[in-house]
Amino acid sequence: MKPRTIKFTRASSIAALFAMAASIAGCASGGPYPLDTLSPKSDLTRAILSLFKEVTILDSIVLVVVIAAMIGAIFIYSSREGDPGEPSAMHSDVTLEMLWTVIPALILVAITIPTVHTIIRTQPDKWPAGTLEVRVIAHQWWWEFQYPAQGGLDTADEVHIPINRTIHFAMTSNDVIHSFFMPSIGGKRDVVPGQNNQITLIADTPGEYYGQCTEFCGASHANMRFRVFVDTPEAFDQWVAHQQAPPFKPTEGPAANGAKIWANAPCAICHTIRGVSGFSKDYTYGFRGPDLTHFGSRTTLAGSMFDNTPQNVAMWIKDPVAVKPGANMPTLGLEGQDLHDLVAYLESLK
Amino acid sequence: MAAQPKPIHLEQANYLEGGGIYGWLTTIDHKRIAVLYGVTALILMGLGGTEAMLVRAQLIVPNNHFLSADFYNQMFTMHGLTMIFLVVMPLETGLFGNFLIPLQIGARDVAFPRLNALSYWIFLLGAISLNFGWVFGGLPNGGWFGYANLTERAYAPGLNIDYYDVGLLILGVSSVMSALNFFVTIVNMRAPGMTFMRMPMLIWALLVTVILLLLAFPALTVGLIFLFADRYFGSHFYEVIAGATPMLWQHLFWIFGHPEVYIMALPAFGMISEVLPVFSRKPLFGYPMMAYSIILIAFLSYGVWGHHMFATGMGPVADSAFAITSMLIAIPTGVKVFSWIATVWGGRLRFTTSMLFALGFILEFTIGGLSGVMHASAPIDLEQTDSYFIIAHFHYVLFGGVLMAILAAFYFYFPKMCGRFMNETLGKWHFWLTTIFFNCTFFPMHFLGEWGMPRRIYTYAPDMGWNFWNKFESISAFCLGASFLLFFANVVWSWFNGERAGADPWDARTLEWSIPSPPPIYNFVTVPTVHSRDAFWVEKYGDVEASGLGEKRVNVEYQSLPTPEEIGAIHMPGPSLYPIIMAGGIFLAGLGMLVGWFRLVFLGLGLLAFCAIAMSFEYKEWGEDNPHQVHESFLKLDNRKVGVWGFIGSECVFFASLISTFMVYKSRSIGMPDASILNIPLTSFSTFILLMSSLLMVLALHGFQSGKPKVGTAWLLGTAFFGLIFLGGQVYEFTSFYREGMLYNTNLFSQCFYTLVGFHGFHVFIGVVWLLVMAVAGMKGKIGTSRALSVELCGLYWHFVDIVWVVIFTLIYLMRTINRA
Repeated sequence: MKPRTIKFTRASSIAALFAMAASIAGCASGGPYPLDTLSPKSDLTRAILSLFKEVTILDSIVLVVVIAAMIGAIFIYSSREGDPGEPSAMHSDVTLEMLWTVIPALILVAITIPTVHTIIRTQPDKWPAGTLEVRVIAHQWWWEFQYPAQGGLDTADEVHIPINRTIHFAMTSNDVIHSFFMPSIGGKRDVVPGQNNQITLIADTPGEYYGQCTEFCGASHANMRFRVFVDTPEAFDQWVAHQQAPPFKPTEGPAANGAKIWANAPCAICHTIRGVSGFSKDYTYGFRGPDLTHFGSRTTLAGSMFDNTPQNVAMWIKDPVAVKPGANMPTLGLEGQDLHDLVAYLESLK
Repeated sequence: MAAQPKPIHLEQANYLEGGGIYGWLTTIDHKRIAVLYGVTALILMGLGGTEAMLVRAQLIVPNNHFLSADFYNQMFTMHGLTMIFLVVMPLETGLFGNFLIPLQIGARDVAFPRLNALSYWIFLLGAISLNFGWVFGGLPNGGWFGYANLTERAYAPGLNIDYYDVGLLILGVSSVMSALNFFVTIVNMRAPGMTFMRMPMLIWALLVTVILLLLAFPALTVGLIFLFADRYFGSHFYEVIAGATPMLWQHLFWIFGHPEVYIMALPAFGMISEVLPVFSRKPLFGYPMMAYSIILIAFLSYGVWGHHMFATGMGPVADSAFAITSMLIAIPTGVKVFSWIATVWGGRLRFTTSMLFALGFILEFTIGGLSGVMHASAPIDLEQTDSYFIIAHFHYVLFGGVLMAILAAFYFYFPKMCGRFMNETLGKWHFWLTTIFFNCTFFPMHFLGEWGMPRRIYTYAPDMGWNFWNKFESISAFCLGASFLLFFANVVWSWFNGERAGADPWDARTLEWSIPSPPPIYNFVTVPTVHSRDAFWVEKYGDVEASGLGEKRVNVEYQSLPTPEEIGAIHMPGPSLYPIIMAGGIFLAGLGMLVGWFRLVFLGLGLLAFCAIAMSFEYKEWGEDNPHQVHESFLKLDNRKVGVWGFIGSECVFFASLISTFMVYKSRSIGMPDASILNIPLTSFSTFILLMSSLLMVLALHGFQSGKPKVGTAWLLGTAFFGLIFLGGQVYEFTSFYREGMLYNTNLFSQCFYTLVGFHGFHVFIGVVWLLVMAVAGMKGKIGTSRALSVELCGLYWHFVDIVWVVIFTLIYLMRTINRA
């Protein structure tokens, strides 16, 4: 090889090594990544990850071959102006062409077979006895969760599921197309109005996981988030029992005053506190906001944009559209002590 | 022979000179039209790039308030729309297709030069429509893919989506018109001896691209028509309340959308296949497989659209099928990548800026293609789709791939277009800066996608682990944008001050390099006869495999100064005002649609129709042989016949989309009326009349062909008369349904019925107008035996409309009892 070629080859190899190091560094550094797609915690996401690993390895092999061939073609097996001799004129080679058709085809078959197998395995149309059904209803821009078998359990922003039990998410949208994305637990599935989509999974590791809407759905698409709490069976049953209990009725202090404000304010047009106020769900179909019966027990609010603290609740009620563009909740003009008391009431609804 | 309205001065030195502004406004020279497209697209590239910079500026830190949420949504929508429809497509087909197709195939112009100009003016109009929101009403903000039902009035009340709808409809007309033009040109106007397997690979790529355009755009057109009907006429094509589904939009959009990405990729493949052999001094490796792989990619591209919809719940069978077809399409693409590398292998390389971009293309496009293979596996896609991983994928194939190929072609062909080189030093800086900052901007998006960052979000929380790489990408993006300033400066400076280039500055291989730079208006003094692939190389060095080093190069006399006799033998069409006026008519119609003044729509369409008819009489010898088709095509076909067949192909997709929608929706329609309202006996009678009209059409053609124009004219009038009876039957049918309470937006059945049958009726109406125009010409004795072709063309259209009616009558009327799946 000529000295210039050797220098080029060295330089480009070092550059390639840097690039690879950067890639690996990129993958490994930093964290935590609450929406990480590479930390599976359910049977579904583990199946996806193992496919992903296989494809990444095969893709990397192909990429290395292509890069090596390009380095060979550009730096080693070609000539430059002024070099002696004739350049090659080869423009056809049947064996070569067959090889580079058949080998990629075989690689693709190696990817396709487990792909199809996983697709079929992860989309059942029958569920075993004991499956927990969770209904997901997407709204602009928050998530509603209903538990039909747990009698009227209706909450928002966070969904609880037990480990080691088949969970069947049955999902639809109240308005436009959204997408229910919980990377560690269930991948994603679009949520389409007029259609029922499903995700079926068995979670295996208790913890708190993040989720977000991943189909552009309007002004606050970026703010339509949620949390998934994977509980042990005992903790899950406790949570269900708690959510099914009637709401706390404060009798003294700012919370009691807040309860009176709630009774007089227009909140009940959109929000339900079971047994206290709220219109029937059919009546308020287009305008309903989240069920607030046990609002105080939730960790987040407003589509999981904010932690559930009194300051954040007050900020939200004061001017929803300012913190969440396009929000359907109007400003009620509440401030000062009234606002403080209403917040105290809502937070008391544990 | 040709008595032109205005004589053109063929003695001008080259196509760029003469005529002033009026000359540019009325030009029908494919080279000037190419320059118009190029300048417009480059300006729009600056705009689209600025939109991207704004997006990245908003994302540089979490919870940023640099842009409002709605403005951000407008910016990412416009960035996508601009780059796809206003930059990449016009550069590939409008600039390079227009400039190079006639030059590479040895023709003097495209098949329909005035249509070519019209395509440009309509394109300009579409660009303005899409961007009008800067001035008034707000830009489109529903994403470039505009998913229903977010685009319905209830969720998007402003003008934003209306600009999207009307703008894309207008751009679609321009694209399909261009596609038809290039299709006929490539099929029918190749120089003698240039068989398909001797065409330059860029021509292969463009031929297949325009076929894709013809057969894919109508699906989008239908989707946009449904959206327009929903927004303006109160229909419910995408609304659940009427039993419809927003998924219809996604299917129609992606049936267009996936071929669309190959419409963008294939010309890029063609350009790379032109650049690499020249700068490697070797023929393209595996020419036959390269051609077949282009065809296979195009064919398969119609079968993969569902891979954009893996998360939508199509079911395991559909998911598996689309995963399999998407994997399949990787095979011919891989063949191309390896063939390009084999082209370079063993060659004698020259690292011009153009070559650097071409080599960069191979690597970047491969990376993008490999991430595409990941997305093709549906379960993996459930984690990756709608995340930054996808953004990384398509920017690698579209920017690192397609745009780099366009830049390679730009540096390569710039000398041919204006006779000057682009500055190589600036070019190399452009290449390295772009490559480095492109990878810095888009490679980390793979990480962000893996860490779950969704697409199309105007901001993100600070505790997601995305902060560092977003900042890194934003800063890299700003540097990337700056590197393009180098490119724009180079273009402008070099156009006026660049080093002069001769006819063949690169020692290249194909016919366009055998004529002066910039070319004369008529391209070739004498149309060459082609004996092999790489015809010009063979002319210079005697053999396609010659390296050109050892052999003495034949002193090629570049065709520059023709003799007066040679000039006299060249017939070129003159400039025309009609294209720009027709575009004005479409502008009025589009404006009317936007503001809801339907009188303005009719005025605009009327102007359009008037100009179309006038334009067909513009050249005095309209009654004689086609003045532009001087040389007999070696397929022995007339350009207009091939054109009508191409048009019929795209109309098939149009009606197939309408009919499929009807078949899907008829079982979802709620309430009355349903198909029982149809009057079978009456419609059977009008169907019979329409079929008989086809018979009369055949008799009319026979009359003209056997030299009896009066007989022919009589039968033409008979055909038109029967067509009018059919239309009368339709009018009676529609008004009686209306009186029975079936309005347009009553239910899904009514809206599908009126749309489908209404559009068909409109086609019959156009046919009747055409027949009457022909009849008038026949009565004036303008249709001789040799001109019977124009009657034949009308007949082709008329029979097609009849066949569509047979399908509609069978499926909608006769098979109306087949309702439940």
